[in-house]
Amino acid sequence: MKILIVEDDAETADYVARGLTEAGHLVDRAADGREGLFLAGSGDYDVLVVDRMLPRLDGLGLVRALRAAGVRSPALFLTARTGVGDRVEGLEAGADDYLGKPFAFAELLARVNALARRPPLQSEVTVLRVGDLEMDLLRRSVTRAGRRIELQPREFRLLEYLMRREGQVVTRTMLLEGVWDFHFDPRTSVVETHISRLRGKLDRGFGTELIHTVRGAGYTIRAPDNAPG
Amino acid sequence: MPPADPSARTRPGGTLAGILRTTAFRVTLLHLALTLFGTAALSAVAWWATTGFAARQVAEEVARDMGVLQQAAQLGGLASAAVSVEARLAADRGGAEYYALTAPDGGRAAGNLAEAPRLPGWRNLRLEGGPAGPETTLLALGAALPGGGFLVVARDLAPVRELEARLLGAAGWVGGGALLLGLLGGAVMGRGVARRAAAMEAALAAVEAGEITRRLAAREGGDEFDRLAARINATLDRLAALMQAVRQVTDDIAHDLRTPLARLRQRLEAALRTAPRSEAEWEAAVEGALADCDRILGIFAALLRIAQVESGARRAGFTRLDLTAVAEAVAEVYAPAAEARGQVLETRLAPGLMAWGDRELVTQMLANLVENAVTHGREAGHIRLTLEARPSGGALLAVADDGPGIPEAERKRVLRRFHRLDAARSQPGSGLGLALVAAVAELHGMRLTFGDNRPGLRAVLEVPAPPQGTPAGASHPSPG
Repeated sequence: MKILIVEDDAETADYVARGLTEAGHLVDRAADGREGLFLAGSGDYDVLVVDRMLPRLDGLGLVRALRAAGVRSPALFLTARTGVGDRVEGLEAGADDYLGKPFAFAELLARVNALARRPPLQSEVTVLRVGDLEMDLLRRSVTRAGRRIELQPREFRLLEYLMRREGQVVTRTMLLEGVWDFHFDPRTSVVETHISRLRGKLDRGFGTELIHTVRGAGYTIRAPDNAPG
Repeated sequence: MPPADPSARTRPGGTLAGILRTTAFRVTLLHLALTLFGTAALSAVAWWATTGFAARQVAEEVARDMGVLQQAAQLGGLASAAVSVEARLAADRGGAEYYALTAPDGGRAAGNLAEAPRLPGWRNLRLEGGPAGPETTLLALGAALPGGGFLVVARDLAPVRELEARLLGAAGWVGGGALLLGLLGGAVMGRGVARRAAAMEAALAAVEAGEITRRLAAREGGDEFDRLAARINATLDRLAALMQAVRQVTDDIAHDLRTPLARLRQRLEAALRTAPRSEAEWEAAVEGALADCDRILGIFAALLRIAQVESGARRAGFTRLDLTAVAEAVAEVYAPAAEARGQVLETRLAPGLMAWGDRELVTQMLANLVENAVTHGREAGHIRLTLEARPSGGALLAVADDGPGIPEAERKRVLRRFHRLDAARSQPGSGLGLALVAAVAELHGMRLTFGDNRPGLRAVLEVPAPPQGTPAGASHPSPG
């Protein structure tokens, strides 16, 4: 994937660029807002990673200008501004995700991947399938190998969130934000307990696990036969 | 801040220049100018009313005399007029009347005026060496007589002039007196005001110089200066409390961040010294260090958020929010965590209760309370989350557990940053959860109280009703 990093701090830009390159992405860099606007407007990027406080043109202005110009590349704000209203402000400017500094690289990578692979027309999908697990979004029912599995509404949403990102790493914070709309980090392991409950319901009586823990990063759902490596 | 002007530090009460600079003195001067202007205007009116009246009266007398004498001349000729003139002169004891009757041939027929111009009409005559003094001004009327001859009738204007002089003198005295009294009063008032201002200034300068506990003298039920001083004292009290809070936070941060930082340092040092043999050991050491870093960053994030909430800036983003939905979501999130500890999380939520505030913060506040109940409540215990409407409007939100609770004496202190009960020190936590709860509650005008659940803790939030006619808050799209 082609990713543009707009970041004025050389050290952070190096760190992010190196990590994304190691993950197999093609990375371009811009050190200020104007350069970022020029590159993002001319190149066809899959994801933009944008700092909010930039010289010459700040991140909010950059994303607004891009959206006004019809550039639809998904944008992620990577910023030290993590105040209560800042995230909403960033999303309202036209960004697709918001990640506060300091951050774990695994978190950034998971979010960049999620942004790039976001299917454009999610609403047309009515059935999600992972291996022998099937979710009918219209009838709100879940079956595994033809056997019906009863889920609470929130468990259903959690599973739907995972299944829509089959094969991708989903972090704890992505789940907290996406499933529960929690924009802070609870100290107790609420996500872990929810996942283990869901696992219990999905995998009980079946030989194979579908939800996998990715150490140091999060969770992923995938069919046993297309496990990587 | 610009460097303080040294002249501004001199006390204005001491010197004459200082008094002249005071507002009281300037106000007095203005008042004085207005008074003098008023006095002058009044004097002008008095002048016109008195001396003008006197002068007109003299003129009337002269005109009447002229009329009578002209009639005498008409009836009895020049001789009769002459007799009349002499009779009048004889009767005039004050010596204020003057006449000059001239025959048609130019000879003097009667009167006491030696020289009088034979000109008709009104004029002022100057008389040298008259009986009234060395120089006398007369008001004269000249007219030709019917049978030939010319008559001048005149009156001494000395009484009028004297009246004028007296009036001028009086006006001078009054004006001068007013000026003097005004200046004196202004100086006295200015001095009093300046002295009190100087006392206030000195006290404030002392506070500025670091004497934080110094306060202004303020009498109970006193004048505007006392009220001002009381207000300044209240402001200083608030500032002192804030400074105390800042100092407390700084101390807390220094102490409570040093502990995890020290632990991080120990871990890194140990890893370096013992030189782990396998890659797995290295990895474990780095992961441990990263976890320590995350804990420290978490504390920073929590402190920043509390500070941001306490600043009150977030109030601008308030919307109408569904309190029932927030409580439902929080209960739903924590139910498995409670279950993992063998606890039952029971909810009794009245439907559709609204509040006015920031949904994200209210969610976090309630999450912290429930999280506390889950972490500090009794294992295999019972947690109860209730939301009910208050008869007075608004809502009552309560989280109750049957754990060890908080001793009465500690209930205020647990709201402070980093404060942790001794019993809770072994459990994970930063001691910032309840501080954030308190800050969010304060921001939303909610009253937070801790009660005894017999056994356990019962945290109660009194939520005010949202303002009337507010639109529902737009829910923001979440990423992903």
